[in-house]
Amino acid sequence: MRTNRTILLVWNELKMNTVRAEPVEAQESIHISTSSMRTDSWLKRAGSILCLLGFALPAAAFDFGSVDWKKAAETVQKVQKANADISEPQEITLGEGIASNLLGAAPLLNNPAAQQYVNRVGRWLALQTERPDLPWQFGVLDDNDVNAFSAPGGYVFITKGLLAQMHSEAELAGVLAHEISHVLRKHQLQAIKKSARTELLADLANDAIKTNGADPKFSKLVSAGTEVYARGLDKNDEYEADRMGVVIAARAGYDPYGLPAVLQTLQSLNPGDSSVALMFKTHPALADRLSLLDQEMTDQFAEQENQPDLAPRFYKALGAGKK
Amino acid sequence: MKNIVALCLLLGFAQTVWAGGFAYTIRPTELKAKPFSDAETLASLPSQSKVEVLKRQASWTQVKSATFTGWVKMLSLQLESNAQNKRGDNGLRSLFNVASTGRSGSTVTTGVRGLSEEQLKNAQPDLQALQAAKRYAVSSKDAQRFAAQGKLHAQSVDYLQGIQP
Ligand SMILES: [Zn+2]
Repeated sequence: MRTNRTILLVWNELKMNTVRAEPVEAQESIHISTSSMRTDSWLKRAGSILCLLGFALPAAAFDFGSVDWKKAAETVQKVQKANADISEPQEITLGEGIASNLLGAAPLLNNPAAQQYVNRVGRWLALQTERPDLPWQFGVLDDNDVNAFSAPGGYVFITKGLLAQMHSEAELAGVLAHEISHVLRKHQLQAIKKSARTELLADLANDAIKTNGADPKFSKLVSAGTEVYARGLDKNDEYEADRMGVVIAARAGYDPYGLPAVLQTLQSLNPGDSSVALMFKTHPALADRLSLLDQEMTDQFAEQENQPDLAPRFYKALGAGKK
Repeated sequence: MKNIVALCLLLGFAQTVWAGGFAYTIRPTELKAKPFSDAETLASLPSQSKVEVLKRQASWTQVKSATFTGWVKMLSLQLESNAQNKRGDNGLRSLFNVASTGRSGSTVTTGVRGLSEEQLKNAQPDLQALQAAKRYAVSSKDAQRFAAQGKLHAQSVDYLQGIQP
């Protein structure tokens, strides 16, 4: 009976935070838990929810007798807390750790003019968003790969390989705005939650990790956060960042078609080249992204059709055309 | 290509010039005399028509078909895949020493640094580089000044409703 109450508690927690669909039927099945079929279906559902939260439950755990429901309930509550309670300072600290890892993977491009230019475009874009006051920080990585990354708290990096595929400031703005959107919607945090390191994130939320010293738990969490870039984000998060990105670029006064123009360029690159391997692997197909943007960018953008793309400033700032 | 870029800089064009690339229409598409929906229709291009790409202006791309030069919606086109990536050559590749790797995607990348899957999994923090990056951060005032110089005007635009893929 006590176990059942715990389950109910967990269930209510889940119902409120995770699954809004079909809670009534599921709650019933807890009360009639003698009906093996319904219990089974509930267990399946509970199991799939736990899996969604990032737990790898062994098959044996579905056997009622051996489940430590109290512990499971505690873990679920801990993770629920992590969902809600990663504070902005914690988010920024984690992002800083991840950013320093990305810079460990690829150095900054030694071109102060380019770095400053990209920071100005990015900061202006960030000012048009719901989180204008994050410590936004942009950077160009000295790497031939064609890719861009963002980390929690406002860190955004673009490779020189991607920059060299662009033709205007509006195109750069489109890509930066896509990355900014991942930060706004905390897509990386959600990806870490889905990884095996969920509990570390919960520890961060619960102040059980020291971020100012050499806490091995923190570096493990940062590693988990960096691995997200090798695995990629959720497909739907990429689509969301695309449709938010074009809006943020339009808000900033740019030609909003910069992002689709870059995606179209990338589509023409040789997909067998190693410089695009990770970007292609970790993102939905370019044809799908372009087709969605095509359908989503309707008449709403008619007013922004004539906003500038500032191609001349782009080339000038990056030093092209000087010679 | 460099000359075209220089010419654009000189004349202050706000259009993106793409020289020498080809594209295919991915659906039946109207070729318009001007980059507006209600402009005169010069021709109706069937799907898979090959056109030469001249330049882009917002959601429109200027193209040359066998008989006409006109404008089509940018997203009705798919650029011809081009291993040499001629179209992408905007002059920045040589400037930034972007190597054409020519490496196949399946090649195992070696070395500690780099942005491959393996390298990201084994990345070690570089705190000094982070401090160096921070030196380039700009204030919101600086960003606003920069926007004004570019005659960028902030607009009010709502986020888009997503459609299910
Ligand atoms: Zn993305």
